[in-house]
Amino acid sequence: MAPASVLSTRVLLVCAAIGVGTGILGGAAGWLTLAVLAGAPWAYGLVLGSHVLPGIIAQQVVRRPWVALVTHVLAALVASAMAPQWTFRFLGTALLIGGIQEGVAALTRYRVWAPARFFISAVIVGVVIAVPVWFAGDIASLAPLARVAAVAISILGPVAWTAVGLGIGSGLRGAGVARGLSTPR
Amino acid sequence: MTTATSPPRTGALADLNPLAKFAAPAPAMIALVFVRDLATPAVFLCLAYAVLLLGARLPPRALGILVGVIPLAVVIVGVGFAVWVDPARVEGTPELVRIGGWSLTLGAAEIGLATGLRLAAIMALAFIGGLTTAGEDLVRSLVQQLRVPYRIGYAALAALRFVPRFGHELAVIRQAHRVRGARGGVLSAPARWAGYVVPLLAGAIRHAERVALAMDARAFGARPDRTERHLVPWRRRDTGFVVVFWAASVAVFLVVLPL
Amino acid sequence: MPTRPRFVSVTPTADTTALLSLRDVTITHLESDTPTPSRVSFDVRPGEVVLLLGPSGSGKSTLALAMNGLVPHAVPATVEGTVRVAGQDAATATVADLATTVGMVFQDPDAQLITGTLLDEVAFGPENLALPVDSVLARAETALRRMGLWERRHDSPDTLSGGGRQRLAIACALAMGSPVLVLDEPTANLDPRGVDDVYAALRDVVAEGDRAIVLVEHNLDAAVGLIDRVIVLDGGGCLVADGSVDAVLRERAEELHALGVWLPAATLAALRLRRTGLPFPRLPLTPAELRADLAGREVPGVASLPRPSTRRDSAPLVRVAGLRAARGRTPVLHDIDLEITAGEFVAVVGANGAGKTTLVQTIAGVLRPPRGAVRIGGVDVRRTDPRTLARHVGFVFQNPEHQFIATTVFDEIAHGLRRQRLGDDEVRRRTDELLARFGLADRADVHPFLLSGGQKRRLSVGTALVGGAPLLVLDEPTFGQDRARADELLSLLDDLRAAGTTIVVVTHDMQVVAEHADRVVVVDEGRITADGPVADVFADEAVLARAGLRPPPLREAFAGVPGFSTVVRLRDLPGGDA
Ligand SMILES: Nc1ncnc2c1ncn2[C@@H]1O[C@H](COP(=O)(O)OP(=O)(O)OP(=O)(O)O)[C@@H](O)[C@H]1O
Ligand SMILES: Nc1ncnc2c1ncn2[C@@H]1O[C@H](COP(=O)(O)OP(=O)(O)OP(=O)(O)O)[C@@H](O)[C@H]1O
Ligand SMILES: [Mg+2]
Ligand SMILES: [Mg+2]
Repeated sequence: MAPASVLSTRVLLVCAAIGVGTGILGGAAGWLTLAVLAGAPWAYGLVLGSHVLPGIIAQQVVRRPWVALVTHVLAALVASAMAPQWTFRFLGTALLIGGIQEGVAALTRYRVWAPARFFISAVIVGVVIAVPVWFAGDIASLAPLARVAAVAISILGPVAWTAVGLGIGSGLRGAGVARGLSTPR
Repeated sequence: MTTATSPPRTGALADLNPLAKFAAPAPAMIALVFVRDLATPAVFLCLAYAVLLLGARLPPRALGILVGVIPLAVVIVGVGFAVWVDPARVEGTPELVRIGGWSLTLGAAEIGLATGLRLAAIMALAFIGGLTTAGEDLVRSLVQQLRVPYRIGYAALAALRFVPRFGHELAVIRQAHRVRGARGGVLSAPARWAGYVVPLLAGAIRHAERVALAMDARAFGARPDRTERHLVPWRRRDTGFVVVFWAASVAVFLVVLPL
Repeated sequence: MPTRPRFVSVTPTADTTALLSLRDVTITHLESDTPTPSRVSFDVRPGEVVLLLGPSGSGKSTLALAMNGLVPHAVPATVEGTVRVAGQDAATATVADLATTVGMVFQDPDAQLITGTLLDEVAFGPENLALPVDSVLARAETALRRMGLWERRHDSPDTLSGGGRQRLAIACALAMGSPVLVLDEPTANLDPRGVDDVYAALRDVVAEGDRAIVLVEHNLDAAVGLIDRVIVLDGGGCLVADGSVDAVLRERAEELHALGVWLPAATLAALRLRRTGLPFPRLPLTPAELRADLAGREVPGVASLPRPSTRRDSAPLVRVAGLRAARGRTPVLHDIDLEITAGEFVAVVGANGAGKTTLVQTIAGVLRPPRGAVRIGGVDVRRTDPRTLARHVGFVFQNPEHQFIATTVFDEIAHGLRRQRLGDDEVRRRTDELLARFGLADRADVHPFLLSGGQKRRLSVGTALVGGAPLLVLDEPTFGQDRARADELLSLLDDLRAAGTTIVVVTHDMQVVAEHADRVVVVDEGRITADGPVADVFADEAVLARAGLRPPPLREAFAGVPGFSTVVRLRDLPGGDA
């Protein structure tokens, strides 16, 4: 089924709102990339890890199919408007990370929303983005210690940002936001 | 930073389909990720600059990025990256600078510079689409050419409209929290910012829900298709631009890349 | 003695010519246990203009949303009974289908904008119906012309005034071609000029006679000239009255007043005068009717209550001298001089964008004033850190949610005390005391965002007060709130003021100014164009007109009536608490 037909306008626009918030962060991360690559290239995974946020917050607030992917794509568009040089990177990571988060949620048939589930997808994301970080950041040419740090941080970055995203999502639930959106139809 | 809403509407690039401007440099950008020499990124950097400067009349801020930010990024990333290069890999290359026990070798500097140039080239290629396209047009072409469902397209347009509102709301929340005497100082900055996130997102989500009601009340999503008054066509010149750019990319790789 | 509200249990048989037909409609929101509205039945026929009245929380908005299926299709709720829209059952039809019969205008103009230009905005609805481009444009042009916005079709909606944006929202609803227009408090957020603007537009629509209108509105003074039928819900969401303006507003005014429903100012004044034995066989609804009723009659003397006196001799609490302020690079305030004495209740009024918010924010140190320009109790606001400033002035933002920083109501209040490094016991004692005073004691452990609108507002006032500041500044405290909540807040302010707090309020509601303030400051394009006692300023029509304001309805009603020309407040009238 096409995602649009299972998503009501309300869900779509809630995704848009979350996408704007996280997309602005993504745009800032885009400009920060230059500073990080100049100062501490091995920490790049921490910056890239922030790209897990849209899906985590969206799934935590709206527990429905497709919201992670849609929110990721909307966040990528907003981030691209802020840092146009990374349009491809933003769209790419959005499809990749959003796809992984949707996939993990789909495997549990959108029924399990325990924090552990979110961290499983975080580790998978970490492993998967370690590869592009390796090539794009030319990590192979770094000192051995920096290489180890780069790989470790690529994996830990998404995990740490997942914890942040879960915190934000729970805060929003506590504030009574988007009530009635999580009941599966 | 460019605004999504007010792009330069002049120059040949502005008349191309947004997708063409993103598709044309894509193969080169992906290939550049795996390139390690100096010449290839330098050539692509020049190519991208030529296309941008000849094909669009850019606003001052965009020019500032091209003339100021990118060259600066090459230098800073180049030097910074060189610091972290594995000394074992560049053993035997001549020393350029020595500070105390640490030395910058020619080999490390070359790797650093290559990284800087590579990033600059990738960014400049992305600017061909990024600096000459309105966010709205990109969304429209995603809907019209790539068949993204229009409901998602409209969610994207709404998202672009939420951006300035977000900035304004953030300013007000910061003021309000300052008046309430949220702790000042550099050390508590993360805690302070964390305090802004939930009110900001909660406000944005409430607003989004109200907008959704207003859209539904005007029959949004009534039909599988909706009338589109703003067409973003794909024309022969779009195909031409993409083909020529791809051919040029292949040529650069064949001629310049050392094998 | 007003009669007890009666339930109207007539259930007319289904009317096939009705555009809207509701039968025993009962709506229960998700996570709510009481239904509002409850067992409501009525019909709306072509050409009718219906006012829907009821106290806050009676379910007016919910009912409005049910009229085009947004409840329950977009807002989760259970709907019992039937809603028929032009013969279609709203429970089974899609919102998109119903939208061609019922057009909606909501309260917040900003939340109805979707596109970047006026033309695109109006075209949005017809485009959704997949009409051909020509007819989309034709409809858009007709609708924009009717609302007087055609010349501005290529502008961004953001450049319109609040009233202009609401007219745009009406144009959007017209362009849908729907024979019914439902408006939910369309003027709640507007300045007086914006309200006039919207009602002028609505009058045009009514004059054409081609649409039925259902209007939810608290501002009866503006609406009363427009409507021909009134439907009233009580606090529990039951229908208590349904009839012509005369039959409901005039004949059952006492009853409606007892329900807590707001009435036109002229009607309230007449109710009050009636207590003194002055007969009003037919209650007036407009200032003109009241004037006509009073003409040539023997009227008991006006007991113009003295306003609470302020000690003018004492040194001013706030001293603003030569203040200039800019937003971004645009200068917004020019050379402001202002003194406020301890114990005063000052109202700051002016059109949208005049600079009221900028002025009071600069006074309270939310925006930083230039050195020496603003002093409160002798200290220079610019040189004082926020912690110390909180002991001198409390500021209440327009949207209370902006100002909440804790996760429970208790912590929200306690935060201000903890910053003063008080002991835990002391913090707890004083917090509990304040919560009890504001009627929030039983909500202490709730997340501030989960409070009702009125409770949120009281909490935000509490957070501003807890620092012990002698000066409280509030930016549009009654914005978007209904009368009951506004009155509750205003009497809280009156109490505070009686206990010695100095109060500065920004507001668009002139009757609020008249009832509660003792001094008015008129801001017009960044300058103070009038500053004086309420009665004096409201007597100066020229200044008001220049600033885009109008006198309070009561003053308008009594203008030129011998013995009453100074009356601006209800409580100036004899007759006790009407
Ligand atoms: N989305 C919602 N979820 C749960 N409860 C709701 C929702 N919207 C409204 N309510 C509750 O339903 C009741 C009726 O609300 P409604 O907004 O319809 O009242 P109203 O008559 O329009 O009041 P007001 O004059 O304040 O606008 C209230 O008790 C309100 O708290
Ligand atoms: N953050 C801002 N940035 C730039 N300009 C602003 C900002 N806030 C307000 N302005 C402008 O400053 C002027 C005065 O605004 P201000 O908010 O003080 O008016 P106001 O009298 O409070 O209006 P309203 O009745 O609409 O609240 C307006 O023209 C407004 O557009
Ligand atoms: Mg309402
Ligand atoms: Mg204001």
